Amino acid sequence: MECLSITGIGVVSAAGLDIPETLRSFDAGQRNVSRTDPDLTPLDYPVFRVSGDLRNPSRSPSRTVQLALHAVDEALEGAGLGPRLSGLRVGVCMGTTVASQLNDLAFYRAYRETGAAPMDPVQRFLKGNLADAVAREAGAVGPCVTVVNACSSSADAIGVAAGWLRAGLCDVAIAGGSDELNRIPICGFGSLSVFSREPCRPYDRDRQGLNLGEGAAVLVFERRADAERRGRAAGVGVAGYGAACDAHHLTAPRPDGSGLEAALCAALGEAGIGPEKVVFVNAHGTATRDNDKVEGGVLARVLGTEIPVLSTKGFTGHTLGAAGALEAAFTALALREGWIPASPGFVNRDDEIPIGAVRERRTVAGRYAVSTSLAFGGNNAALVLGRSA
Amino acid sequence: MNIAGMGVIGPRGRGIEAWERALEEGWVPPLDAAARGAPVGRCPVYAVPADAMADKGVLAKARRADRFTRMAVLAACDAWRDAGLEASIDKRRLGIVVATALGPHATTFAFLDGILDFGDAAVSPTAFSHSVHNAAASYIAMTLDVRGPTLTLTHFDFAFHHALLTARSWLDEGRCDAVLAGTVDELGATMEYVCGRLLRAAADGRIKPFAFAPAPEAVPGEGSVFFLLTKTPAGRSYACLAEVSQAAGLAADTGAVQVLDASGMANDERAYRGVLAPGAAVAGYAPLFGSLMTGSSFHAAAGALMLRRQKRYACPVQDNPHGIALCRVTEAAAVTEVFCTRVDCAGRAASIRLTGTEAGGRSDK
Repeated sequence: MECLSITGIGVVSAAGLDIPETLRSFDAGQRNVSRTDPDLTPLDYPVFRVSGDLRNPSRSPSRTVQLALHAVDEALEGAGLGPRLSGLRVGVCMGTTVASQLNDLAFYRAYRETGAAPMDPVQRFLKGNLADAVAREAGAVGPCVTVVNACSSSADAIGVAAGWLRAGLCDVAIAGGSDELNRIPICGFGSLSVFSREPCRPYDRDRQGLNLGEGAAVLVFERRADAERRGRAAGVGVAGYGAACDAHHLTAPRPDGSGLEAALCAALGEAGIGPEKVVFVNAHGTATRDNDKVEGGVLARVLGTEIPVLSTKGFTGHTLGAAGALEAAFTALALREGWIPASPGFVNRDDEIPIGAVRERRTVAGRYAVSTSLAFGGNNAALVLGRSA
Repeated sequence: MNIAGMGVIGPRGRGIEAWERALEEGWVPPLDAAARGAPVGRCPVYAVPADAMADKGVLAKARRADRFTRMAVLAACDAWRDAGLEASIDKRRLGIVVATALGPHATTFAFLDGILDFGDAAVSPTAFSHSVHNAAASYIAMTLDVRGPTLTLTHFDFAFHHALLTARSWLDEGRCDAVLAGTVDELGATMEYVCGRLLRAAADGRIKPFAFAPAPEAVPGEGSVFFLLTKTPAGRSYACLAEVSQAAGLAADTGAVQVLDASGMANDERAYRGVLAPGAAVAGYAPLFGSLMTGSSFHAAAGALMLRRQKRYACPVQDNPHGIALCRVTEAAAVTEVFCTRVDCAGRAASIRLTGTEAGGRSDK
């Protein structure tokens, strides 16, 4: 299938407020780890928080929406599309977890205790559908929906938007994801005993679990001919997407990894390439025992044991609904820049995983790279990003 | 796209027969607060009856799941079985798209109960994992052993429309041979309270879809509807899902029926008056399932039955202050196409066009 041109990228995470700051963090191996805010929860864990001022936060009371709009601004600027999009058919597909739920604790406490509660949090929720909020702010007119596929949400959002472009439903796609640090997932993941008490160590033998993070990433992409007509011959693009379900367990990956393998093979097939063309993988790499073991086995099986693998969650934490898009954006940037950073936290190879992560910054010279996402519900998604010859 | 099978679970029961019976029988009063043991002053609602969800066989793998997920599993499994294509579809080539407006909110509130009652460190992992929006899709996949792509979408007005667009995209790209696409939304106690505060309750229990009121009256509802979709005719071939359009201005043939999604959920329904298709007989069946952000799927199921049976179903509530051409009686009719039209609070419209054959064409816009 046609490789869709990425003409704009926007990222915000603990690694940086924009692309230049993020690349500097990656180059320096800088991990901006903090602790959970005691005003948010009494649980004390390492987290990856976005520090610094977001652009125009007054546009929405929701931090998840604020993060998304911050990334949208950078992506639209990069795409040369300015702040508004009048006259274009623009599809918006965004992934999230937190912003999809009416989970305001103060509202619910009031309702529970008195049988009545103020409606302000509900009104905020009803105005906070992530894709709708982005479309409204950007002035986008076209298909618009929010993907809520847990941790693969934004990888799937990119895949859905790619389908819209190929079907001619829109001319420009804004796709990505956003999630804030929120008490609900902190409590929830805590209850599942998957948190690490130290900064996470994806793929490492001694990994103890994940850290949560917050952030957003947005890709602006177009059919190649449309991008070229605008004078935006992009260097990188979305070449393939694959998704498959484990049909196994609500929270644990299928031990044989067959769902992820099917997703990865489908993405390679859509890109029209064999595994030998892939020069690195930005893995889901949460640093939980199960995820890295299953994912590593699949990557080795499909792409070989020598494939360079990194997990940028060591820089960002697990940003849930934003993770797939952040990692796809980082993958595209690495192809564009020609290098990948050392995988943060990886020191010792795990004998149970047939591959290790990269320990040093390295040059990447090929045209294709893969980003993988695994999620609650048994969702698996893979994106192939490509660079022009 | 071909509708190969359907599954419906709603306030009038479970199954195609129950939905068709509701269309034939017309309006029945909703449950008032006293009848269902709700706090005094709560508005009447249309809730899915407990006996409609008692199926230990289908729900064996979803025995720990919440009500939201159970409704979705039952409707999706019914659609799958209704099509009768078990032997011909590879489960690795079967996809799932679940559309919801509000997700499993009752379980989200149950999780918040855990925080308030026991503290942040002692919440239930089961409640957390089931509060995630895609839990329903996951249980459908586990129950039917579906290995293809699985997606859950949310939007307050057009979630179902995007589910259909996604299903079409997957079929056209060759990603899937068939897709289970549908909707689910539930009405938990807290959401009943929210509806009571934000919506204008219909004092007589009757949603009036043709009032086109600036402040329409609502009776909150719940339910799940699923369709097994294939690219070409297969299974029971109820109808062709010919077009999903982000516009209301679709030309109607003689023999067309336009079904309006007006249900009292929007805070202003006057815009519906401007999207009436000239020449079409107009219907609206929200009084059968209640005010629901994802009610378009119930209407698509009604449209598929009209085309399959060559029958128009009488509008269950026929208050008609604007004198439009309503379907007034249930009768045999040469139904050539059905438009299901939805308009949101901002006046944005979307339509789903169903025809009887593949000749109906397509042009997604």
